[in-house]
Amino acid sequence: MPTHQLTVNGRVHHVDADPATPLLWILRDTLGLTGTKFGCGQGVCGSCVVHLDGQAQKSCQTSLREAAGHKVVTIEGLSKAGTHPVQHSWIAEDVAQCGYCQPGMIMTAAALLQHKPHPTDRDIDDAFADHVCRCGTYSRVRKAVHRAAGGVK
Amino acid sequence: MTDRRDFLKVTGALGAGLVLGLRLDAKALPGKVAKTEFRPNAFLALGPDGRVRITVPKVEMGQGVRTALPMVLAEEMDLDWSRIDVVNATPGPDFKSMGTGGSTSVSTTWTTLRQAGAAAREMLKAAAAAQWGLAVGQCHTEKGFVLGPGGRKLGYGDLADAAAKQPLPSKPPLKKPGDFRLLGKRTPRFDGTDIVTGKAVFGLDVRRPGQRFAAVLRCPVPGGKPKAWDKSKAEAVHGVKAVVEVPTGLAVIAESTWAAFKGREALAATTTWDEGAAKDFSSASLETKMRAALTGPADEARKVGDAEKVLATAARLLEAEYSFPYQAHATVEPMNATAHIGQAGAELWVGSQSANRAQDRAAAALGLKPEQVQLNVPLIGGGFGRRLGTDFSTEAAQVAKAAGGGPIQVVWDREDDFRHDLFHPATLHRMRVGLDATGGISAWVHRIAGPAILRSWMGGQKSPTQAASEANGALDLPYGIPAITVDFGEVEAPTPLGWWRGIQIVPNVFARECFLDEVAHATGMDPLQLRLKLLGDQGVVKFGGEEADIRRLKKVLQVAAAKAGWGRKLPPGRGLGLACHAYDGRTYAAQVAEVSVEKGQLRIHKITCTVDCGFVVNPLGLEAQVEGGIAFGLSALFSQITWEKGRTVQTGYHDFPVLRLADMPSVETHIVSSGADPSGMGEPPVPLAIPAVLNALFAATGIRVRSLPLLPQMLQKA
Ligand code: FES
Ligand code: FES
Repeated sequence: MPTHQLTVNGRVHHVDADPATPLLWILRDTLGLTGTKFGCGQGVCGSCVVHLDGQAQKSCQTSLREAAGHKVVTIEGLSKAGTHPVQHSWIAEDVAQCGYCQPGMIMTAAALLQHKPHPTDRDIDDAFADHVCRCGTYSRVRKAVHRAAGGVK
Repeated sequence: MTDRRDFLKVTGALGAGLVLGLRLDAKALPGKVAKTEFRPNAFLALGPDGRVRITVPKVEMGQGVRTALPMVLAEEMDLDWSRIDVVNATPGPDFKSMGTGGSTSVSTTWTTLRQAGAAAREMLKAAAAAQWGLAVGQCHTEKGFVLGPGGRKLGYGDLADAAAKQPLPSKPPLKKPGDFRLLGKRTPRFDGTDIVTGKAVFGLDVRRPGQRFAAVLRCPVPGGKPKAWDKSKAEAVHGVKAVVEVPTGLAVIAESTWAAFKGREALAATTTWDEGAAKDFSSASLETKMRAALTGPADEARKVGDAEKVLATAARLLEAEYSFPYQAHATVEPMNATAHIGQAGAELWVGSQSANRAQDRAAAALGLKPEQVQLNVPLIGGGFGRRLGTDFSTEAAQVAKAAGGGPIQVVWDREDDFRHDLFHPATLHRMRVGLDATGGISAWVHRIAGPAILRSWMGGQKSPTQAASEANGALDLPYGIPAITVDFGEVEAPTPLGWWRGIQIVPNVFARECFLDEVAHATGMDPLQLRLKLLGDQGVVKFGGEEADIRRLKKVLQVAAAKAGWGRKLPPGRGLGLACHAYDGRTYAAQVAEVSVEKGQLRIHKITCTVDCGFVVNPLGLEAQVEGGIAFGLSALFSQITWEKGRTVQTGYHDFPVLRLADMPSVETHIVSSGADPSGMGEPPVPLAIPAVLNALFAATGIRVRSLPLLPQMLQKA
């Protein structure tokens, strides 16, 4: 198996695995970073979203080969101690229910705000189109994104 | 065997032994300090540092018990909320009743947790009083301290030793609601920070030393078995360690989840199946049988007067058929369990809503005694009733056993989760109403036809309460009608069934509340006025084994209508619709939906929900349950599971549409307080969303939808 150089949360790893392996499983099973979640493996639930060079990316749809040589940031690396503005506003709005879909949602929100510091409701609809929260936290997700953007709720 | 309600009741009541037998063991803490912990009961341990560890006797799956239940105990004990740790119980002698479902977690633990906290508080006070040479009555508690006259003040931690030596009060006084500092306050989720930083550990995140991963190749037709297969293809996949036979199929054991999935894919290509008795089952064949059962013999669930006789002579007869499809749970965390079998016993990590049952069944599968199986419950990424089943935990134990002990994590993928769900079954509803000469309802007949969930839960046995269970939501029709018949015509289906958030109440209330709306329109009455008239001045009404206070239901309905501006003028293409229900006679709720249809597109703008669930422990959590319950209900407007050749047609979120963010309506929650003890909030909002929206759709467009899912062509003429 070829070795791939993968930068995750600022740390360089040398990963020896099938290049077709989805990044999701490298993160969870090889590197032990279980904050990134498996929800569908079919690209339709958003639980597995990470940042690849600052872009929100579904790690179940990204192979090790594609991720190698790029900068990957997972929920564990979003901030040192849960101090990212999105994490703050998530707590302030008490968004989570079961919490399982939330790391993916938070990573999408952080990437959205990076590119659009003041997203409209429509921008938020579009950014979260591929996310499933079966617990139904959507109203609070919207409020938390607006809050993190510094706007009114 | 018990039915669902009994199961939750029996297992919900924390055995009397726990309350009366409050233990007085002072356990040494690990570490250098030879101080002791104060553990007056199974729910709490106070360390010498003043931190309190609270053990939650129910499981957390998003409904907020790891916040709400500690609040109850912390209130009575007067704890500093910032100095508590919360841990999950494990099934065993202290926790014989961890079953979590039916919206019962607060109601079944409320008194016990209050007593547990109050007993500890009294013992701490007694310890301080003894130290100060004062009477207990001169001391009081506040945020982790006992306070006495003259500025005396001792931290709980400093009193841990002495409190442990105090006699256990048999009837500790409970606080008056007016003195509550924590209960009733908007309290954010206890695990919030862990969740937003990715530290929260769900079942799938369990990692044990030497752990392997497994995927099970199961027959796509429930009940089918593998006939022939070739392991070599799977074993050739990099990372695959073994292929073993288990009762549910063939397990591929590997170094990583991905290798297990790849190995299973290779194995599947070589496998032939004996698809078993269910191989020809289809939604179409079931529908034919259900339609026949709409008029054949049925089991009575409620009978008031002789409704058939009244119908025969009614001035006018109204009739309609409603239909509701199979549904899946579709929790975002797929089923999974981790098992490790050692010399002395086994250890499992399972996101189970039935921890005790999961322990018993895993033990039975392994030939062990329940006490030899340590069962840990991590956080649960969505339950909705799916995880009341023990299929996935027993299977993990069997995989570990077949593979030589483990630890092994069995991971289901999304397709497994859909194909092998414990489904909510389809139902057909034949609704008939007789009107007298003045247009008043003289008879109401609701026939439900479909497979019985309770039979599946009871391992194929028919329980005496089966008809009542399947008619929940229909038999407790709250309206005062002189003649009522509600019955259930059972239809067999070879599919595994289970409890689904809102259970049978969802289809039954959908049919009931929409049909009543039809009656209102047919008789030229306003749907709100008709309901208020039918609720009338009834007080407590009994329905078989339970009862409901109709005044509380009437109140929530009136408040919902007022808050939503019922009766106001709306632009064309926009409408309001409502629905109400007394859930298990415990939680009273009403919803008003506001919708519009533009260019054939339904938009649900807003849902106003009022609830009376007695005392509200955490309003912030309650609102989350209302929002989430409505999202869950609305998903079922659009989703369905159908069957072809014995297997589900749907295999994931791509063809089982659940509500997405863009379609989430604005939800406004109003709490109507009644002074009653707390009931429950997980399920009650779910069944009202569909009828409220469909009644609003009718008001907006004149289109009456009686069959779900709601398909785009149904909205065509709008
Ligand atoms: S797990 Fe990647 S989108 Fe669902
Ligand atoms: S919080 Fe449970 S799935 Fe989103």
